[in-house]
Amino acid sequence: MANRHQEFLDRGGRVFAISADTAPMNAAVVEKLALPFPILSDADREEVITPLGFADEKDPREIARPGAAIVSPVGEVVYSFVGRDYADRPLEDVLLEELGGLGLSSTSQPPPDLGEIQPGEKAMPYRGLSPYFRGAKFAGLAIRSRHRSLGDDFGDDLKAYVEMIDRYLEALPGVEDRRA
Amino acid sequence: MAIDFTVTDTAGKPWTLSDHLDSAAVLTFQRGDF
Repeated sequence: MANRHQEFLDRGGRVFAISADTAPMNAAVVEKLALPFPILSDADREEVITPLGFADEKDPREIARPGAAIVSPVGEVVYSFVGRDYADRPLEDVLLEELGGLGLSSTSQPPPDLGEIQPGEKAMPYRGLSPYFRGAKFAGLAIRSRHRSLGDDFGDDLKAYVEMIDRYLEALPGVEDRRA
Repeated sequence: MAIDFTVTDTAGKPWTLSDHLDSAAVLTFQRGDF
């Protein structure tokens, strides 16, 4: 999404990520990925994550489910997608189409201010991202190959998962450019 | 129905949605600790 940030701005939408992590943890991710938008902290999930239906009630870490919502300038939620799990995320093309349908003028967004930076205990170093994504991709391909007999739903799910990983790998050069 | 909420930004300061709605807001929800 960071690589296509300008496309969101061109359609009149500013991007704000939200997690249940602390502000210093979010600042560490923004710094690591050189994100052009902030990650906001809803640490107890009571302000927006739960009210908008994004709380992951099955995960003991009390985190958010991946997803997205578009809020119009009058404060109305005009689009919402709540992912089933970490491998089920909204497509940028869909978000851009929904946003474009609002017919808004282009906007701008200042880079996020960073205060204290403190990565979480399980945060992955930047240099680990590429091998992690490659490993995840080939694990998905291997499982898909082994279990073709399980039918189209299984194959389609794994295909979508591998395509998601491919999008992450394709996004890494953009991260490099922003970090340079 | 209009929504509004206040959370904490990456500088540790309060951030309120209604202060940023001179354009649309695309909210993306993250699992975190990445």
